[in-house]
Amino acid sequence: MKPRYLIIGASAAGTSAAETLRRYAPDAQVTVVSDEKITYSKPLLSYYLAGKLGEEQLFFRSPDFYERHGIERIHARAVGLLPEKNTVELSDGQKLKYDKLLLATGAAPRFPHIEGIRKDGVFGLRKLEDAHGILARLPKTKSAVVLGGGLVGLKAAAALKEHGVAVTVLIDSPHALSQMLDESSARIFERIFEQNGVAIRTRAKPVAVLGDQQIEGVQIALGEVFPCELVVVGKGVDPSLELLEGTQIRKEYGVLVDDYLRTSVENIYAAGDVAQARDVVRGEPWINALWPCAVEQGRVAALNMLGIATRYRGSMRMNSVQFFGVPVISAGLAVLTPGPLGGRPGEHDETLESQPAPGIYRKIFLKDETIVGFVLVGDVPIEAAGVLRILMERRVNVASIKEELLELGPELGRLLPLIAENRERFVEREFQELVQTVGV
Amino acid sequence: MERLFCDPRRCVGCRACEIACAVEHTPSKDLFASVLNGELGPPRRRVQTVGAKPYRVAIGGVVLSLGCHHCDPAPCVDACITGAMHKEDGQTVCDLEKCVGCWMCVMSCPYGAITPKVKALKCDLCPDRQEKTGRSRYACIEACPTEALFAGTFEEFQKVLAEPVTAVWEGTR
Repeated sequence: MKPRYLIIGASAAGTSAAETLRRYAPDAQVTVVSDEKITYSKPLLSYYLAGKLGEEQLFFRSPDFYERHGIERIHARAVGLLPEKNTVELSDGQKLKYDKLLLATGAAPRFPHIEGIRKDGVFGLRKLEDAHGILARLPKTKSAVVLGGGLVGLKAAAALKEHGVAVTVLIDSPHALSQMLDESSARIFERIFEQNGVAIRTRAKPVAVLGDQQIEGVQIALGEVFPCELVVVGKGVDPSLELLEGTQIRKEYGVLVDDYLRTSVENIYAAGDVAQARDVVRGEPWINALWPCAVEQGRVAALNMLGIATRYRGSMRMNSVQFFGVPVISAGLAVLTPGPLGGRPGEHDETLESQPAPGIYRKIFLKDETIVGFVLVGDVPIEAAGVLRILMERRVNVASIKEELLELGPELGRLLPLIAENRERFVEREFQELVQTVGV
Repeated sequence: MERLFCDPRRCVGCRACEIACAVEHTPSKDLFASVLNGELGPPRRRVQTVGAKPYRVAIGGVVLSLGCHHCDPAPCVDACITGAMHKEDGQTVCDLEKCVGCWMCVMSCPYGAITPKVKALKCDLCPDRQEKTGRSRYACIEACPTEALFAGTFEEFQKVLAEPVTAVWEGTR
């Protein structure tokens, strides 16, 4: 019998794994289980909410992707996992046997434990149905409160503003985007939001969602009430670990995986927002719940499931976003807000910073002459993100070019001698070709 | 798959490839018309000085022209949240209709080969050049006055690198 590869989850990691399995094993039996009927891009939901994209533009693979590749897609929720029987139980009663299993169950929005948070009219922004729910409520919404000043919260706020809703963002932390930006970079974006009519309140801890039948407002710890008819929660996500209950699979924040994305239980792998894998900057397992990491992990896990031993190099925190036309890319330990998933003091020992004009900003964090984080704001600075990121990812000592880091453009040529010196860390064919070509 | 390479011994950093590339990616595909109509966008390859600040020592230093390497697996493809950036017969192609300009690919490309300009712009290997203009296959190669640019496999290019450099009029290729 042909081996069965079973994947739980059909978003970035699950789809990428299915695609890879099919590419390298054209005849294998590949089954994907998802509690969502269609596969769409979650990062695009804020674009959809803002009215910038239609529903049909949310597909990152064509709607017939699974069918066309002969991949079985089951619309059900995986509710039980019996590793000793190599079996997954589904909400519709089916029991699926597997030879290799991939957990790509993703993550779910983290709702604060406050009074009224489960009221009708409080939404996350993680699934298409969340966006549908918010859009359906807009005709009777004059004001909205967004809980959380992270990426999802601020994207939701900007999208609601597009619809003419008066938006207030309540942020527990001392500044917005505390998982992505340091305080001075975050202030740039707080100002941009204020200039575009979105109210930002920092150090505002919500304590209750008020109202009986209809939501009437959100109360914060200081007692102040922000009247609204709609609440959107963007306070991060928690990995969906329900399937692990009763199993021996090791977990911490998420499912712990080794450098081959194997869990602690044989024949079970994990990838995407549920997986806690190597972080190259931190040097310890971490969850970087990011689209690019999920896709890469899905591919690497699939190769290992096929027996093609492939080491996962590791991820790092990184993100790229634009708010009201101003782009920002940040990566690594640009965050120094303490917390379980935040930064810790002493993670950098030097900061390079330049702000040649308002709205153009570069900040690079170093530790022992190695880049450990950066923030780039504005059209020109962000072009250098890719080359800075690879220097950080490959832990290259940048002492020899430190004076120029703040003016570095997207030119890799400048870095070729440095890459040649560290060529054992740049194993990709393209890097090796370049080093050979210039003979440095 | 055929890819583009630059011989740094021949490249003098004149940036003719950059202007030819920028012109190729305009509706008119004509230098005069594209400047006149304000169509000119950024080039998808850049002349770079190895180990020095850009253009500081163009003569005497090592210079070469670089663009997308069409690598596989491609980090930009992994990073794309819309599916716009994808692989097609070995090439890395961006479907500009689908691109929303999130710059996840810009963040992910280790070669700095993607330019964020409303959409993600990169070397597309001149897909409609021959059909629309009847000219040679690649704009950058045609424009290069020193024959530094080469199309082929890396193995073929290595043979070029192994040959001594001679004047263009001596016709090594």
